[in-house]
Parts: sequence; C-alpha cells; structure tokens
Amino acid sequence: MIAALQTITRLLAFIGKELIEVRRRPGAIISLILGPFLIMSVFGLGYNGYRRPLQTIIVIPPQSGLPSDLSRYRDVAVGMDILQIAPDAAAPLQRLRSRELDAVIVAPPNLEQQFRSGAQSVIEVHINVTDPVQQAYAGVLAERLASEVNAQIIKQAAGEGEKYALAAGQQAVQIPPDVIAAPTRAELKNEAPIAPGVLSFYGPAVLALILQHLAVTLVALSLVRERTSGIIELFRISPISTTEVIVGKVLAFGVLAAAISTITVALLVVALGVPLLGSPVLLAAIIALLTVASLALGLFIAVISDSERQTVQLSLLLLLASVFFSGFVLPIEEFTAPVRIASYVLPVTHGIRLIQDVMLRGWTNEVWEMFALAIIAAVLLVATWALLRRSMTRA
Amino acid sequence: MMFGGMAAVRDVTLSVAKGTILGIIGPSGAGKTTMVRLLTGALKPTRGSVRVLGEDPQLFRRRTRERIGYMPQLFMLYPDLTAGENINFVASLFGLLWPRRRRRVHEVLRTVDLWAARGKRAADLSGGMQRRLELACALVHEPALLFLDEPTAGIDPLLRAKVWEELHRLKSLGRTLLVTTQYVTEAEECDMVALIVEGQLIALDTPADLRRKATGGDLIEVETAARFNASKLVSLPHVRSVTQQSPRAFRVTVDDAGTATPDVVAALAEAGGEVVSAREIRLSFDEVFAELVARDRATRAAPADANAAKDAAGGPHTEKRKARGSDKA
Repeated sequence: MIAALQTITRLLAFIGKELIEVRRRPGAIISLILGPFLIMSVFGLGYNGYRRPLQTIIVIPPQSGLPSDLSRYRDVAVGMDILQIAPDAAAPLQRLRSRELDAVIVAPPNLEQQFRSGAQSVIEVHINVTDPVQQAYAGVLAERLASEVNAQIIKQAAGEGEKYALAAGQQAVQIPPDVIAAPTRAELKNEAPIAPGVLSFYGPAVLALILQHLAVTLVALSLVRERTSGIIELFRISPISTTEVIVGKVLAFGVLAAAISTITVALLVVALGVPLLGSPVLLAAIIALLTVASLALGLFIAVISDSERQTVQLSLLLLLASVFFSGFVLPIEEFTAPVRIASYVLPVTHGIRLIQDVMLRGWTNEVWEMFALAIIAAVLLVATWALLRRSMTRA
Repeated sequence: MMFGGMAAVRDVTLSVAKGTILGIIGPSGAGKTTMVRLLTGALKPTRGSVRVLGEDPQLFRRRTRERIGYMPQLFMLYPDLTAGENINFVASLFGLLWPRRRRRVHEVLRTVDLWAARGKRAADLSGGMQRRLELACALVHEPALLFLDEPTAGIDPLLRAKVWEELHRLKSLGRTLLVTTQYVTEAEECDMVALIVEGQLIALDTPADLRRKATGGDLIEVETAARFNASKLVSLPHVRSVTQQSPRAFRVTVDDAGTATPDVVAALAEAGGEVVSAREIRLSFDEVFAELVARDRATRAAPADANAAKDAAGGPHTEKRKARGSDKA
C-alpha cells in the first residue's frame, strides 16, 4: 500500500514538475496553444486554391487558315489568359524564355490540309517552368485545349455536313452538332458528408502534425536535459525506477498535450468552422494514441541523443520527414513500397488519416491504424526503457 | 576504477563505522568524486568490490536507496523550479508522502537558511545558495547515510560553519556521513579522514593521529638568543628528530611535548644555549597534508630520490630513526 502511494507520489511529482516548468515560460504556452491555431487560421484563410491563368500568346500562322480574332479563342483556352494573337512564333518564344509569358501556343500551319489528308496535326504548347507541379498543370491545360479544339472542329464539320445533307434534299439526323462533337460530359457527385474545403481538410492534418511535433520536441528536450545536466544521476541514486521515469514523463506531457489538443480542437471547430462529424470520445481516443506514440518517439530520440543540439536536429528531421511522407502534402499511395512502409512508422501518418476521417466523415474504416499507433508506442517505449535503464544503471 | 586506460581510483580499502563523519580529502582531480560515485553505485568498479549498507551499490534495493542521500559536486537541479519546488520534487523521488514531505521541506529550507528564498527560481540563486539547495535536497528524506561531494565549496566561511554544525547534528542523530572537500582545514571537523592523492589512499586516521603521523610526534618550537646547532639534541631520550629552521630557531619532535619540553630546555642550557622561547606547536592541516603527501611521494620514489625530496621540503633535518612507518591504512 505504502509502495503504491510512493509510486503515485513519484508520478505526480513528474507531472507537477513538468507543468510548472512549462508555466514558467509564458512564451512557450502562447506558442503551444495559440501557435497551432494561428498557423491553421492563416493557412485556411490565406489559401483559396486560386490558380492564376497562364499568360499566353497564341501563334496563328497566316497560311493556317485559322481565324486570328482574339475573342474566338478565349472560351477554348481554359485556364489561360490570351494576351495576343501573333503571326510568328519567334518573338513570343523569346518573351517566354525571358519569363514575361507563361505559355505560347503555336497552331499548326496547315491544319485543314493535314485533316483532309487524314493526318493528325500538332498544337505546340510551349512553357518555361522548373516546378513539376506547374508542368503537370500546364499539361492538363494543354490536353484540355486539344479536346476543345477537336470538339470545335467536329462541331464545325458536323454543322457543314448537316447543311450539305439538307441542301442535297436528304433527311438529316436530328442530332445537334454540339452533341456530335461531345456526346458525353461528366458531372461530379461527391458522396462525402461534407463539401471539401481547404481549411476543413488541412485543419485536422495540421493538428496531427503539430501535436506530434510538440510531443516529440517537449519530451525529448526534457529528458535529454536531465541526461546532460546530470539530474539523471539523482535518478540513479534515488529509489525511482526506469519505468516510473518513463511513465512519469508520458503522463506529464500527456496531460499537457491533452490540454493543447482540447483547446486547439475547440478553436478549430468553433472559430474556424471545421466540422466534427464523429464522436468526440473517439477523436479523444485517437488523439491520446497519437500523443502516446509521439511521446514514445520523443523519449526514444532523447535516449539516443548525446546532446540537446542533437535532439533538436533529430526532431526537425522528423518534422521534415513527417511533412513529406505522412500524406500531409503528397498522397502516401504515390510513394514506392519501401518508402510507404517507412511512412507508416511515423505516428502522424496514422494520426492525420484517423483524425480527418473522424472529423470529416464521422467514422473511420481504418481501425487498423489505431492498432498501428498502439504498436508504435509499445515498441518505442520498450526500446526507450531498455536504453534508459542501461544509462541509469551504468555510467 | 579506470577512465580511458587511466586509474582514477585504485587500491583503496576503507570501512566506515556507523554514526561517524569520514572526510575524504585531496587535491582537485585526486579521485574524491570518483570514489563517491563508486560508493553510490553511479560507477561500477573495474576491479574489486564495494559494499555500502551491506549491499553492492550496483544492486541497491529500493529500500536501501531510500536510506541514502547524495549531494553532487555540481549543481544538478531544475533551474526553472523554485528552491522549494526542487526540494519537494526530490523528496517525492525518495517517496516521502505528503504530510511528511511538507514538514521536511519546511525544515530543511530553514536548516540551510533558504526559507526566505524558497520562492526564488534555482537559476536566480547565488552559487552559495545553490550549494545549500543541493544540500537541502540531500537531507530532505533524512537518510541514514549521506554522501556529500564538496558541500562547502563556494560558500562563505560563516555559512560553512553552519553547514558543519548541521552535519554534526546529523551525526549526533546516528547518521553516517562521507564528505569530500578540498578545504583541508575541514579535516578537523571529521571523525576520520581519508587522504587521497592521484587516486590512492595515502592516509586514513583520526585528525589528531594524522597530525602525529605527519610530524612523527609532538612538536616543540624553540628560539635561542644566539646561533645554536640543534643536532646536539637528537641524543636526548624523548627526542625523535630535530629540524633547524634558522640559525636561532629549530623544531624538536618528541614523544610527548608535556614531559619532553623541560628536558629539551635543560639540555639546551647545558650545551650553552640561551632559550628565548620554547612552546609546543600544532601544524596546520595544510602543513600536515603537505607533509603526508611529500612523504608518500618520497616513499614511492627510489631511496635516493626520497632523500632529495626531503632535503628540498625542509631545512637540515636530523633523525634518530632512519625510516618512518607507512601511513597506508
């Protein structure tokens, strides 16, 4: 009984000590609670997904027989701002290379002749970018441009054919040229419970990312300071066990993370309007699992680090890896299998998906990811225990 | 105990009786802290064995750890916590439950004179106050055995006296204390003193016996009115040796100053000397340790080198015996 009370006393001492240390740094409290909220607010309010139209010049060679009226092309070139129709490509291409323009479209010089001879013509779309995302975007626009041009040609041909048939006294098929040119069109129906929004999608992801980063950094710095300042020697001599040190740290920073998460989720839902469709209890359970797994990762970093500087470096590397490989920016499915496996080792990978599911869909089908978080936490805590015990018994 | 191929502490054998203060004294880098860390289990000996409270420090049980207090040489507490919070945290580590913990925190804060500063952050305390805070943390759980690594380093003489007062009070309560210090004068405060030099124990005894070992007996300092060759006195029955300090001053080492002083004065008068003063003197512990260290070095060196070292250490020296006994305990 006394032994149990003594253990509780030691654990409470850690909770009290860590909370006091955090309280003593008002700047830390502000950055811990308001920081994540402000980042999400700025991101959500500042990002609207608007893509500036590509500043474009269309080159229509005089011999092509195509119209050179600017207004004729404005509806065709979706996502492009047509500045001018030029007869020759040299000057626009020079401007493109000096990055005054985003794109130069060169129409084929002999489109009709090629068509009649049964050959495909090429519309050249010149761009000057180094960003692969921009290149992909330009490629989509180019494809769409070709489709639009093709549809216009078919529409024109169908209209002329209909006129010819009627003039020849034949019965024309009652199909409008628009439908002949584009027999189908797609209509998007989203079955998700909410309409996608930048803030609602990235809000939960930022919460998971920041929660992992804070948990890792705070607990790692706390333990590594104790190791490097010599306080660990006091632990060695005192009756506290390695398990009590680890549990004490997890509880102390768990309480802190719980407070930060509660405030941040409340701000997200109330102030930024991010939906919370699922059970708050389930969300709390997921956040608790993510927190414990992140704390375990932080403790592991602390026991393998030799200095505070190394801990900070490892925490930042972990943050960088989390941004790239967790699905925060790029979908995990787009990575190769080995990288995908590595990404599942990061607690935040599971945290992002689970929190997004519970908040935006009301439930998650990926229950295995909750087990994954529990396994990550267990493995890292056991490894930390073994390494810390070694350093607490041997000097 | 080896560090990077060098022995930090070697061939040390000592046992400490319950309820005593053992002072571990030696110059900086002598191995005092290493010895304390071996005794607390923070370090594992390369060879040999250590038993503290009947157990191997590497395998201390939890109950045994609760009976040990440790004050490290360097400040190892939380700078952002106040003095009171630091002591409270350490008391919790040692498993003190709330009512006792509260009482003890108050007590030790007053004991080390930090009550007024209990609400100040440890980082804002002066160096001396930080040492007292460390001491308070070591005392808070009322340990039976206390390891204090230089508890008086960096604190003023008045407070140093107060710290020793507290250590004597603890001793009177039956506690055992191992105290390291660079202040050799503090040897007087200890029941037993272990002198460590270059990782080796060169003397272990009570302060009084160490002094006798250093001088070879009691010392009488004699001043004469005129030049006098003191070597003539060596043939007297109570005289062990004579050291000429100056043409008119010399020191005579005798078995007992009380009985030998009249004989020395009489013999001096017989030899034609006129005594200005003859009094028993007590060497300071600085001198005692300097003598013991010099003698240890000389003993370890070749006999020829030993003589040279003695000549360099003092003036003309006439001894009745050719060799002195080893100080090693």
